[in-house]
Amino acid sequence: MTAARNRFPANAALATGWIARARQRAFRVAPADREPVVLRHSRIYILPTKRGWAMIATVLTMLVASLNYALSLGVGVAFLLAGLLAAALLHTFRNLAGIEITPLSAGESFAGGHVAFTLSLHGGALARSAVTLAAAGAHASGDVSAGAALTVTLEVDAPARGRQPLGRVTLSSAFPLGLWRGWAYVHFPLAGIVYPAVEIGAPPLPHGESGPDGLAAGRSDDADLAGLREFQRGDPPQRVAWKAVARGAGWFTKEFDGIGGGGPVTLSWASLPALLDNEARLSRLTAWVLAAERAARPFALTVPGTSLPGGQGREHRRNALAALALFPGQAGP
Amino acid sequence: MSIAQTLGFRRRGPRAQTPLRTQLTSAQIGWLGVLLLAAQLPQAPHLPIWVAATGILLVGVRLVVLRHDRQRPQAPPPRIPSWTLVLFAVAAAFAVRASFGYLWGRDPSVAFLFILVAIKFLETRTTRDGTLLVCLSCFLLITPFFYGQSLLAAIAVLPAVVLVGATLDALTVGVGIGGAASGRGAAIRRSGLMILQGVPVAVLLFFLFPRFAGPLWGLPSDHSAQTGLSETMEPGQISELSLSDNVAFRVDFDGTLPPSRERYWRGPVLSRFDGRTWTAGNVQYGGALAPGGNGAITYTVTLEPSYRMWLFALDLPASLPRADNDSATGEPGGLAVLTRDQQLLARAPVTQPLRYVQRSILRSSYQGNPRFDANANLRLPDRNPRTREFARELRERHPDDRQFIGAVLSWFNRENFVYTMSPPLLNEDTADEFLFDTRRGFCEHYASAFVVLLRAAGIPARIVTGYQGGEINPRGGYMIVRQSDAHAWAEALIDGQWQRFDPTAAVAPSRIEIGLGGALPAGERVPFLARLDSSWLKSVQLTWDAINHDWRRNVVGFNYERQRSLWREWQLDRLVPWQIAALAAAALFAWAGLLAAWLLFRRRRQERALVLWDDLCRRLARAGLPRHAYEGPVAFAQRAAQRWPQFAIAFAAIGQSFSTLRYGETAAPRQRDALVATLERAIEVLPAPAALRQAT
Repeated sequence: MTAARNRFPANAALATGWIARARQRAFRVAPADREPVVLRHSRIYILPTKRGWAMIATVLTMLVASLNYALSLGVGVAFLLAGLLAAALLHTFRNLAGIEITPLSAGESFAGGHVAFTLSLHGGALARSAVTLAAAGAHASGDVSAGAALTVTLEVDAPARGRQPLGRVTLSSAFPLGLWRGWAYVHFPLAGIVYPAVEIGAPPLPHGESGPDGLAAGRSDDADLAGLREFQRGDPPQRVAWKAVARGAGWFTKEFDGIGGGGPVTLSWASLPALLDNEARLSRLTAWVLAAERAARPFALTVPGTSLPGGQGREHRRNALAALALFPGQAGP
Repeated sequence: MSIAQTLGFRRRGPRAQTPLRTQLTSAQIGWLGVLLLAAQLPQAPHLPIWVAATGILLVGVRLVVLRHDRQRPQAPPPRIPSWTLVLFAVAAAFAVRASFGYLWGRDPSVAFLFILVAIKFLETRTTRDGTLLVCLSCFLLITPFFYGQSLLAAIAVLPAVVLVGATLDALTVGVGIGGAASGRGAAIRRSGLMILQGVPVAVLLFFLFPRFAGPLWGLPSDHSAQTGLSETMEPGQISELSLSDNVAFRVDFDGTLPPSRERYWRGPVLSRFDGRTWTAGNVQYGGALAPGGNGAITYTVTLEPSYRMWLFALDLPASLPRADNDSATGEPGGLAVLTRDQQLLARAPVTQPLRYVQRSILRSSYQGNPRFDANANLRLPDRNPRTREFARELRERHPDDRQFIGAVLSWFNRENFVYTMSPPLLNEDTADEFLFDTRRGFCEHYASAFVVLLRAAGIPARIVTGYQGGEINPRGGYMIVRQSDAHAWAEALIDGQWQRFDPTAAVAPSRIEIGLGGALPAGERVPFLARLDSSWLKSVQLTWDAINHDWRRNVVGFNYERQRSLWREWQLDRLVPWQIAALAAAALFAWAGLLAAWLLFRRRRQERALVLWDDLCRRLARAGLPRHAYEGPVAFAQRAAQRWPQFAIAFAAIGQSFSTLRYGETAAPRQRDALVATLERAIEVLPAPAALRQAT
């Protein structure tokens, strides 16, 4: 008896596991696909659209009427249309089968904006028409010409800070006759990052280490211009020697002697007013990171659990914002 | 640099309109209009002229307005409110009711659908309307077959079938992304291709899908006036019928063909006379078949729908008709019964083309029953005094029945009677006026006057109508009997035998020997196809008729019985239904697999370069050098050349030729071929992926 009782939950677990696997396989509920995914017949589902159902009903009615009145030609026409329906089904299948989907990139955004996910579709030697990609409420369609790739960007709403997974992507098409809708699910482990919302009307940056003199207007940046070096990707645009660019002399970046007028600032969680809750603090720190970047002032960031040494540049800014975005705790409004 | 090209894509808000609700573009409305016209045209000839004109005009008006709009897009026309259209539809229903006299029947329903579809087109705006219209047009496709299933009718419907696909295509492509796949020609080509690809399915279903043995619900009782013999005859009726070239039935003879003068196709027998009109007497079943001896001939009749009960057979039927191709299930008598006056009556009016096998023995007399037949066939109304007087005088000279009849016939022959298709109109005493005044008549005049003379002389006689003669179609080796072969002759009861007499033969023997065209005087209005001269036009017509005969036999006539016999031939009848279904499903799967494989792996010639390039990328990936998504052909070839310097020249050639083929200016075909050949040779130089992987 005991043995029998014990076996049952084991069986149940087995069954649940099997169901879960089947569900995962059928509906791609978890991000388990390895890139790139090539759509094979086992992934493609096809069902009639509303128009498809209407045509099926029409053909059936024509068939029954023709059989009743023994109109051989009516039967013939009904079956000719049935052949058209069947061929359209295969064309819908052909339009999707063999498409290769590669996740390219996940974008970044501030809460309330859109995260752009970019995927690439490659149709091989066949042209694909009117393919729609949809995920998380966003969708985009396009044609993939033979041998070419189509880069599709899905702009997904980003309501709250944190990691924003793309989730399940539905690739669908009703081409050519709109009678059948074929679709396939893919689920890549692709996630964008959503930074905290920027506080509007945030107080100005705290004073730098060099003291109150460094408080400073943007002009002080130019004061200690040390020279120009060749432009490198990632240099902040405000450091680009635009005059040189305009002259056609090439791309250069202005270098400053020592530390800019503003001097490095430390953006610290602890130094914020105690009244602010976590999200408000994150918003303010985010606003300050952007302000520091704009002012081209190096900054250090300290939040509980993370501390970034002083620095500047695109990479530094992204690290800082990511640290704020991924700050543990309740996300959302 | 990169192959990746970002084509225009459209981003919609999260709550975009569902595609079925969107507005139609004017191009899509144009497609719908053309589809409607194509579906209406084959139906139009079968409708009252006002219905056809209204339906087609409404569609035309919308199309013209549409064209006008497209030229001046800034001034859209005022929208027609829906309620006016509802009023319009109701008015159309009343008009149809008034025109036909009733609404719930096949013909008025078809007429109403015809107008309704056009009215719906007036207010078609959304894609959902478009879907509805496409479905309604599909119904319009089968309505012409109610009125005829000739090859021409089938061909007339085909453009509309292709347009159904093309319109669906246009509705879809318009909703999605236009791109390269749009365009009028492309839509029609795609639709035509898909229909062709679906033909195997259509053929399979046509032969295997079970037909109904009988109708599920009532067949239409209404039918428009059909040309053909009826149960009445009055002067001028058959001569009018003889103007029609319509086919009454076609006959395939097994063995020898009887001579024309023996070809009396027996139809309605008329024995009641009111002085002007002949009508059929009471039907008495249980006639005796003529004993079929050695002289019996067997033939197959394909009867056009006559909407009447008569099945035609040569005098005299030696068997009951048996459904064609159905030797096992079709017992004789299932189709029709024989009456005492040797008429074959079907069990139901013939509304479909009907094929039956019949045996006849060529005899001109059969056993009558004086006790039953004599009285009814002696009655004469109190009319035609001069005729009765003449009969009495003649009878005094010829007391013998046969002598009397011989005297009447020779009198017809001697006097200046004229055989004509346009006889003068007769009033009350038709026999008197014809015999003594006008003396110009067609077969019904002679037969009628002849029977009146015989009855007045006390000899039981009656009228037999039917067809006489028929024309052999040399193209198909079968006989065509047309309405112009309609004929009326007489029977007299002599010595207990009903004996056939044809007074027309006494006046115009060539009518019986050769046909109508040979019997009428020159200048008469002869039906075109009854003429004797063999013009090329007539020969074309005969060829066409032969094709139609085969069409009828094999396609239109494919009904429940034919299906059963076909199944027997293929030995499908041994299978239970689910096995047949499984067989059909297996065939469908085979078709789907073959077509899918063809669609997916068919490589077009102009894509040869692409195929080669794809293969190369796959091989290099296996050799450990996958192409990056951002890498174009030249960059990738350069990287490969760095990895395998010994093949640098080949890679350079590959990169150059492929990028030129794919992105260069469109070259002349010869140049392209040369480039493809270069690409192919350069790729051949490379070793297999495994060897490449080892190479340094």
